[in-house]
Amino acid sequence: MVNLKIDGQEISAPEGTTVLRAAEAAGIAIPKLCDHKELTPYGGCRLCLVEVEGARTLQPSCTLPVSDKMVVWTNTPQVREARRFVLSLIFSERNHFCMYCPVSGGDCELQNAAYAEGMTHWPLQPNWQPYPVDASHKDFVLDNNRCILCRRCIRACGELVGNFTLGVEERGARTMVIADLGVPLGESTCIACGTCIQVCPTGALIDRAGAYRGREKDSQKTASICAGCSIGCGVVLITRDNNLLRIEGDWDAPVNQGLLCELGRFRPLDDPGQRILTPLVRKDGALKAATWEEAIGVTAAKLQPLAGKNGSGMAAIASPRLTAETLCAFSELFATKLGSAQLATTDDPAPAPVPSTGTLADLHQADCVVVAGADLVANHQVAGFFIKRAVPKGTRLIVIDAGESQMKALADCAITPNKGGEPSAIAGIVAALKNQAVDVLAAHSGAPADALAKAASMLAAAKTPVIVAGPHKHLAGALSELADTVAAKIVSVYGKANTRAALAYKIDGAFDPKGKQAVFVALGDEKPTQKLIQQVEHVPFVVVQAAYTSQLTAVADVVFPVETWAEQEGHFVNVEGAVQRVQRGLIPPDEVWSSARVLHVLAQKMGYELTADWQRSL
Amino acid sequence: MAKPKVCDDWLAGCAGCEMSLLDIDERILQLVDLVDLRSTPITDLKVPDESGVDVGILTGAINNTYNEEVAHTMRKRAKILVALGDCAVFGGVVAMRNFFKLEDALKRAYVDTESTEPGSKVPSDPELARPTVVKAVGEVVKVDVNVPGCPPDADVIFYVLSELAQGRMPELKGELLHWH
Repeated sequence: MVNLKIDGQEISAPEGTTVLRAAEAAGIAIPKLCDHKELTPYGGCRLCLVEVEGARTLQPSCTLPVSDKMVVWTNTPQVREARRFVLSLIFSERNHFCMYCPVSGGDCELQNAAYAEGMTHWPLQPNWQPYPVDASHKDFVLDNNRCILCRRCIRACGELVGNFTLGVEERGARTMVIADLGVPLGESTCIACGTCIQVCPTGALIDRAGAYRGREKDSQKTASICAGCSIGCGVVLITRDNNLLRIEGDWDAPVNQGLLCELGRFRPLDDPGQRILTPLVRKDGALKAATWEEAIGVTAAKLQPLAGKNGSGMAAIASPRLTAETLCAFSELFATKLGSAQLATTDDPAPAPVPSTGTLADLHQADCVVVAGADLVANHQVAGFFIKRAVPKGTRLIVIDAGESQMKALADCAITPNKGGEPSAIAGIVAALKNQAVDVLAAHSGAPADALAKAASMLAAAKTPVIVAGPHKHLAGALSELADTVAAKIVSVYGKANTRAALAYKIDGAFDPKGKQAVFVALGDEKPTQKLIQQVEHVPFVVVQAAYTSQLTAVADVVFPVETWAEQEGHFVNVEGAVQRVQRGLIPPDEVWSSARVLHVLAQKMGYELTADWQRSL
Repeated sequence: MAKPKVCDDWLAGCAGCEMSLLDIDERILQLVDLVDLRSTPITDLKVPDESGVDVGILTGAINNTYNEEVAHTMRKRAKILVALGDCAVFGGVVAMRNFFKLEDALKRAYVDTESTEPGSKVPSDPELARPTVVKAVGEVVKVDVNVPGCPPDADVIFYVLSELAQGRMPELKGELLHWH
């Protein structure tokens, strides 16, 4: 520990800590712009200048490591003068017009810094040079007029996400943030994760959906969990007057540490279609608005006689975006009470996970990662970011996939066996590690023997290898042997937000409603697939609980209007088994019920009481 | 003590700041009691007294040679000059014109506008003020009190004016300081 004094306060901090971090830990706030707690210090903006006794000039506290007996002053007249000067220069460099900027009024760190210094005007006017605005991206806009060249976006893109799309061109006053080698953002290698928007201190990077719809002080923030894949990223829902403005990654969430992918940040803001606002019951061939009592009554009357008739009875399918509480009630009602042999989720095919021995956090320490049967560029993207960002720092990446996987482009060793040849390829790597013959296994797998040997040599050199396995149970044996051989952890990735909970409640069958008398679809806000619609079309009695109208609700006999993911209260169980709280960010319309309530009331109508404890099976 | 003499004039702006002034509601009566209101755009007296006034308030940006003259006159005759609103303080929305060539802006306004009769010309009478690069008031004359905001809140305006009326210099900070 190093002992120093900041503003007269005795502070001790671990060696290597910056003065800025040490001050923050002691509750002393130093203004800053380019610094961000998740990013490597950069020392670009000079707003965090402090006075260090004995130093010739003011020092940037964000890059200055603490040293013993250091005496630092953060708020002397000289420091404040320098801050105002730095801010004056930043404001004069480009065009910072608060009156027509969406982040003005609390959301802009540059403006807040000026307020903190009591600046009522710019001592130096800008020179009215217009800078390019790049509005080519579908989800966000880069306005270079408001850019202060702090490079937070560039560091986030590279250091946090490992995508390295953003960079700068030119030098000095001509410096400009660009995508790739100067192409429009919309045509660049950007993967639309939006991390750059989340770290931008000004209005230079703004999202299209939420811009100009409300300032931070007018909006509410609700911490919840993403309803996309099974990583279970912590999100912050930013809402105003019951409208969702924006979704941000929760920096405090242990799983994703602030990161989100496109599917979690932007796609939930797409227009979801027409909301269902009352229960609907088919009368004389057409769906008509009905009361809850009527809709529940019609459904109970149809389903109850089918109880216990496995073959000709009913099939039930649920979205793995529903809460654990809902899925537990679903399982109890249809399996235990009504005796339906067929419970499925809308995951298609039903996931058959490889058993996990590690957690996603193991990826942060991994020096070699094997990705088998999972394309983390397409799905479970945040886990992919953890790998992508480690590769430039020396983590070796081995990808084994019979199909197309975009991970292969990043891999040190990409192995493409024949279809079904993955277990042999993995066994080949194990053989190579044990100095046994590889040729026969290589030939059987269809992958070249030298690729298997190369993978083996990378794994042999690794101290903390991690295997990421896709939902292919047939790989379990081979991967387990590989893990044992090199002392690797296996991190299994599969399914959607609550697939793990669904599997725990035995909602794990294949869905085939052919010949059934009735089908119950607990869809929530999911978009039904064409396959699902075709499957249920000819079933005599179709019940759908859904948030939005679709071709599926059009063929239903009863439709229950239910909450969307942002309106739900409950829990998701992520791929590691972490039980995480889903909080309501939006209030549902009046006549809309929670999916769980529909199941409970329906059960009561049929004379059942749903009492299963959702936590017990997990 | 004699009531402080206050003058006001507007330059290139939208009158939003004046609307915000009216938003101080009944408090305007307190202000009227405190000050001797001299020239404003809506009083008979249009220019500040030659003998000098205590407070001069300008809203809007400097957009042409006439605005410059008004600013210089106000500066010369007022002990304390207040720039009120983002246009006066920064150039504001008016300064968006600086991103275009002056000739292009004039052509767009007087010739190309959809509602303009064909054959219209940019006015060139030598008696008219000549448009210039848009400037904040502070770029042309020394400003003593900058009150940013688009427009400044009624509470900010009331605070500034009541402080000045009572012979104190207002200090904008915390809730009272906003640029938007």
